[in-house]
Amino acid sequence: MSPATQGAIVLTATLIVLLCGAPVAFGLGALAIVFLLIFQGFGSLQVVAETFYAGLNDFTLVSIPMFVMMGAAIGSSPAGRDLYEALDRWLYRLPGGLVISNLGACALFAALTGSSPACCAAIGKMGIPEMRRRGYPDEIATGSICAGGTLGILIPPSITFILYGIATETSIGRLFLAGVVPGLMLTGLFMLWTLFDIWRRGFRAHAPEFRYSWKEKFQSVPKVAPFLAIIVGVMYVLYGGVATPSEAAGVGAALCVVLAVLIYRMWQPRDWWQILRDTTRESVMILTIIGAAVLFGYMLTSLYLTQTLAQAIADMHVNRWVLMALINLFLLVCGFFIPPAAIILMTSPILLPIIRAAGFDPVWFGVVMTINMEIGLIHPPVGLNIYIVKAIAPDVPLMKVIWGTIPYVLCMFLAIVILCVLPTIATWLPDHLMGAVRTK
Amino acid sequence: MDFFVRGMRRVSQLCGIVAAALIGLGVLVVCEMVFVRYALNQNTIWQTDFVTWSLVAATFVGSPYVLLTRGHVNVDVLPHYLGPRGRWWLALASIVMSLAFCLVLAALTARFWLEAWDSRWVSDTMWRARLWIPYSSMPIGLAILCLQYFADLYCLVSGREPPFGIEP
Repeated sequence: MSPATQGAIVLTATLIVLLCGAPVAFGLGALAIVFLLIFQGFGSLQVVAETFYAGLNDFTLVSIPMFVMMGAAIGSSPAGRDLYEALDRWLYRLPGGLVISNLGACALFAALTGSSPACCAAIGKMGIPEMRRRGYPDEIATGSICAGGTLGILIPPSITFILYGIATETSIGRLFLAGVVPGLMLTGLFMLWTLFDIWRRGFRAHAPEFRYSWKEKFQSVPKVAPFLAIIVGVMYVLYGGVATPSEAAGVGAALCVVLAVLIYRMWQPRDWWQILRDTTRESVMILTIIGAAVLFGYMLTSLYLTQTLAQAIADMHVNRWVLMALINLFLLVCGFFIPPAAIILMTSPILLPIIRAAGFDPVWFGVVMTINMEIGLIHPPVGLNIYIVKAIAPDVPLMKVIWGTIPYVLCMFLAIVILCVLPTIATWLPDHLMGAVRTK
Repeated sequence: MDFFVRGMRRVSQLCGIVAAALIGLGVLVVCEMVFVRYALNQNTIWQTDFVTWSLVAATFVGSPYVLLTRGHVNVDVLPHYLGPRGRWWLALASIVMSLAFCLVLAALTARFWLEAWDSRWVSDTMWRARLWIPYSSMPIGLAILCLQYFADLYCLVSGREPPFGIEP
C-alpha cells in the first residue's frame, strides 16, 4: 500500500475516532497502536511503552504544570478583580474606559497565566457584571471579555507556545518573546475597535461629574503591585538567562501561591485543594495528550506519512502565500472542533517540514498558529470562552455573545494579515534580544 | 457492583490527591533546585530527575481522577447533536475503544517495568536512580484507569449515568 493511501486511511480514521467523542489522548493512542499493528506487525508494539514514557520524560514539560499552577493560584483568588479595579480607577475618564480596563486587565492577567479560559473567567467574573451595571451593551461586555481572554495563550507565558516549542523543537524562550509584540498589537486592535464602537454608539460610561480621587487611585496599587512584580521577575529570569523556563515557572508558581495566601488569606485547606485540583486536572489532561501525540507522531513518521505529505505539497509548487492561507484555513476548521493543545500537538510535526520547505520562520509561524487557535476559542461550536462567558452572564442570549465576538474575530484575522505582511513584528524582539537565527 | 463503582470513585479520588501532592512536591523541589544552583552556586544532582519523574507519575496516577471528573478533553460536537439512542451507542464505542487502548498500554508498560526491574536499569544521570521506581507509575496508574473505565462502562450500560454526562 502506498504511503498516500495509508495517509488517507489514517486521516479518515482519525476524524471518525475524534468525532466519536472519545478523549483525544486515548483516541490518538488507540489509532497509533492499531495502525502500527496493521502496517508493521506485532514487533512494532515493543517500543510503544518506551515512546509514550519518553514523550513525557522531558524537563521542559515541567513548565506546563508550573505555569498552570500560576494561573490556578491567581484565578482562585480575587486578584483578577483587583487588577481590573485598579485599571478602571486609572483609565475611567477614557470613553469606554471600563472596556479598556477589562482588556488591559486581560492582557496583564495573560502575562501571569498561560491559559485563555483562566484569563477569561478571572476577569469576566468581575468585569461583565460591572460593565452591564454601568449600561454597556451586552455584546460589548461579553464580546470584549471573550476576546480579551484569548490573549492568555499569546502573551507569554503561554502553554500553547510551550507545546508548539516541544512539538517542533523550537526555542520556547524565543517563542515567548515572539508573542510579546503581536500580543500587545492584538490588545491594541481590540481596544481601538472598542473605542470606535463606543464612539459610534455615543456611549459614555460615567456621569461627567464622576471622579476617582488620587487617594482612591493609589489605594488600588498595593494589591496589584506584587503580581506585576512577579510578571517582571519571571520575564527577567527567563530572558536575563538566569534560569530555564521550567525553573522560572516553578519559582513563579510558588510565588503566586504565597502571594495569594498572604494577600487574600487563602490559608484554608479548601483553598489549597482548589489550586492543586485545578492544576492537576488541566496538567494531567495536557500531559496525557502530549504522551499520546508523541506516540501518534511516531506512528506517522515510521509509516513515512509525514514525509510523504510534506514532499507531496512541496511538489505541487504552490505559491507560498497560497499555501500559508490554506494551512490557516485548515487550522481554523480544526479550531472549530478541537482544543488548541490537541491541534498543536497533532499538526505541528506534520506542518513544520512544509513551513520550513516554503521558507517561513517556524517561530513566526508559531505566533500565527497561536492567533489562529485564539479564533477557535471564541468561535462556535467549541468556542470555550463563549461558554465561560455565557456561564458568567446566563441571561445574555448565546447569539448575542457570539455576535459580540465577531468584530474581535475580524481583529484577529487582521492581526494575522499584518503579521504576514510584516513578519518582523513577531521576529524582531527575539532576534534583538537572543540574536538572529538563520532559517532555510 | 454498586460497591465496585463506589470503591472506584474513592480510589480515583485518592489518585487525584496523590497526583496533586506530586505536582506540589515538584514545585517545591524546583524552588529548592533554583536556590541551590543560583543562590548557593552548587551543583544539583537528583532534582531534575526527581521533578520530571514526579510529573510523569502525576500524569499516570492522576489520569483516573481526571477521567472521573470528565477532565480529559474530547470533541463533543456529535454527542451534542445526536439523539439519546445514537449518543448512547457513541458513548459505548468511545468507552470500549479507550478501555481497549488503556488495557494494551497497561500490559505493555507492565512489561517495560518488568524489564527495568529484571535488568536493574539505572538512570544515565549523576543520580544513577533505579528506573523501575519511576516506571512503576505507568502500570499502576493505567491499571486503575482501566478499572475506572470498567466502572464507567457499568454505569453507562446499567443506565446510572447518562452518555457523556449529557442529560436527555
